[in-house]
Amino acid sequence: MTTTPVRPAGQQIVPAGGPAPGGPAAAPHGAPAGAPNATVSRARGALRRTPGKLRLVMALCVLAAVALGVLGFQAGSVQSRALGAASEDTAQLVGVQEVRNALVAADATATGAFLVGGLEPADQRARYDDLVDQAASGLATLSGSNEGDAELLGQVAADLTVYTGLVEQARANNRQGFPVGSAYLDQASTILREQMLPALDEVVLDDADRVAADFAGVRNALWVLAGGLVALAVLVVSQVWLARRTHRVLNVGLAVATAVVLVVGIVSTVLLAQASSRAQEVRTGPYAATLAASQAYSLANDAKSMEAFTLIKRGSGQAYEEAFVTATDDAAARLDTAASEGILDGSTAQALDAWVTRHADIRALDDAGEWDDAVALATATDPESPNAAFDAFSASVRGDIETNAAATSERLDGAATTATVAGWLLLVAGLVAALLAWRGVTARLEEYR
Amino acid sequence: MTTTLATPDRSPRAGARRRRSGVVAAGLAAVLALAACSGPSGADDLRLTEAPQDEAAEEAPAAPAAPAECADPLASYAPEGALPGPDALPGGSTMAAIRDRGSLIVGVSADTLLMGARNSLSGQIEGFDIDVLHEISRAIFGDPDRLTFRVITSGQRLEVLEQGEVDLVARAFTINCERWESIAFSAEYYHAGQKVLVTRDSTASGIADLEGQRVCAPEGTTTLTRLEQFSGIEPVPATTHTQCLVLFQQGKVDAITGDDTILAGFAAQDPYAKVVGEAISDEPYGIGVPAQNVDMVRFVNGVLEQMKSDGRWAAIYGEWLGGLGPAPAPPTAVYGRTP
Repeated sequence: MTTTPVRPAGQQIVPAGGPAPGGPAAAPHGAPAGAPNATVSRARGALRRTPGKLRLVMALCVLAAVALGVLGFQAGSVQSRALGAASEDTAQLVGVQEVRNALVAADATATGAFLVGGLEPADQRARYDDLVDQAASGLATLSGSNEGDAELLGQVAADLTVYTGLVEQARANNRQGFPVGSAYLDQASTILREQMLPALDEVVLDDADRVAADFAGVRNALWVLAGGLVALAVLVVSQVWLARRTHRVLNVGLAVATAVVLVVGIVSTVLLAQASSRAQEVRTGPYAATLAASQAYSLANDAKSMEAFTLIKRGSGQAYEEAFVTATDDAAARLDTAASEGILDGSTAQALDAWVTRHADIRALDDAGEWDDAVALATATDPESPNAAFDAFSASVRGDIETNAAATSERLDGAATTATVAGWLLLVAGLVAALLAWRGVTARLEEYR
Repeated sequence: MTTTLATPDRSPRAGARRRRSGVVAAGLAAVLALAACSGPSGADDLRLTEAPQDEAAEEAPAAPAAPAECADPLASYAPEGALPGPDALPGGSTMAAIRDRGSLIVGVSADTLLMGARNSLSGQIEGFDIDVLHEISRAIFGDPDRLTFRVITSGQRLEVLEQGEVDLVARAFTINCERWESIAFSAEYYHAGQKVLVTRDSTASGIADLEGQRVCAPEGTTTLTRLEQFSGIEPVPATTHTQCLVLFQQGKVDAITGDDTILAGFAAQDPYAKVVGEAISDEPYGIGVPAQNVDMVRFVNGVLEQMKSDGRWAAIYGEWLGGLGPAPAPPTAVYGRTP
């Protein structure tokens, strides 16, 4: 306000605009303006130089403080967005794994139904229908919630219609006692395993990459620290310069501005760093647990359908049994690692072991030539059956996935709120510091009037 | 004056600039440090350590090479004396070992209707080949049901015998010289011939009329080799014969070629298909036995002799292949081979 009468003079602005080289350049330009009165001109010249520089200092301080506020706000919201995205992408990843599991389980159910003859049990049929419904609606939701995944998921959805068509043909033939039914089922399984599952695995990897990028983004938001240091340096240097120039130790405005920037800067940095380290904890904690559980479940479902194939192939199923062992070993290793890291309790791993032990009983019967008994055991549903053991594992691992996925999104969302708060704090602090700096320097400027 | 003023002026500012550039450098360094450790990737989070799974490294069964030469492929080992009863199997013989084990392990088809197929209503594997095996089980155990089935594809037939994984293979198994080089066969127990299956409205009256068309045959069979001898036909291999029927029903092939027995089974599953033409080949079926088990071959031949003479062969034929016409005279066994 006080500067307004000075500004229209125009000439004073010019030297203010050119800092170091402006000094010498302003002299010849300013001299003719002050020509009428030598004394006044000398006084003005002296005045002009220092206020010009004062204005420059003021502009720098205000600019630095505003920049700190804006950048800090930006950093806060970038971090908050990254955390939110990590939460969403994790949900997407878990959703894709769920679709994958539903498809593999549907295939295992359809295959298993062939073990018991042409008339498939009504509950198996209902289970298959239910799983296919889950997969289909999951695919629709997931393609809608992430554009990046839409193309691959669209392909999977298209393949799903082909798959279900083939399974129906297999059923129709099987029901008439035509062995060509099992060839249709084979073809359906081939489409599932060679086209749909690889596509879903690719989507899972894409999602995991996006989550990884989100986590990197969370940390990158800390770069605002550098900006804060610059603003702080500008304010401190300005005060040193002012103190030398005006022979006053303290400029209240600038000092308070510096203090505000320092305090809020530290607080916000702590908040942002906290959000970042919380994200890191989530990544090695519930997020890692979610991934471990959901991959173990996926592998176990794969293994479960291998179990049906070993029996259908009746003696030529060795390759399937090897795949079963590989898949369950991998699943067990993932669960054990998670348990040893303390992010999952060991109960799911135990449930998996229990199921694998029951599966060994089926293999023992089949290997001893008791194929009918092996099939009876594999299709039994009583509480002691391998199926019941699988269901128990299933329930346990699904619980793990749900709990940890919920914890992941809850904690990431909490961290996102913290980051938003830090961003707003920095914005307010920046603006307040700018105002204080402006007022502080203006007070000095007043003295030159 | 201006210069002198400027000089002292410059030093603090230059200092500030120096300091500022120092701060910028520190900031940049921090940025670089952060960028350098940009953290684990998605694959790391998923703990995908191993390389992407290698392509299903399934070796395609080697197609039979040029037909090997031998005097008479149909000649098998003659049975020695009268067929011993289950209680009188010679000590130390293959049959005695099988009896002691408790079951006869046999390689069969589960999807060749009429010859060896799983009845989806009962869950049992049944057919012409299977009934012959039941008779052999009866001869060893006195019980026709002591069979342990090992379901194999046609491409696996030689392999399971060479590895000694099964005692017998009865799976529409054509006797030929080349196969005699690695395994042994019983005497011929069924005479099939290669024909072709086309759609009901097709005007083709044999494989020669199928020029320019896609014809399916299973991998690793004499059927496919023979198909390749017809110029102008596009052979389409499939993993199993039944997969050929799927491709046929999906319109991906125009015809299927195979032994008349197998094609009869297909026609029974698909009212829009018919088997046409005269047999373009002779397919004498034998029961495959591991090469070293000569005593087993002699024993099986003894069982087959009995079946052919006491009418069991004709009864089994009537049950499964009656649709092809009344039972013909069973093929005459040829012997004279020496180990």
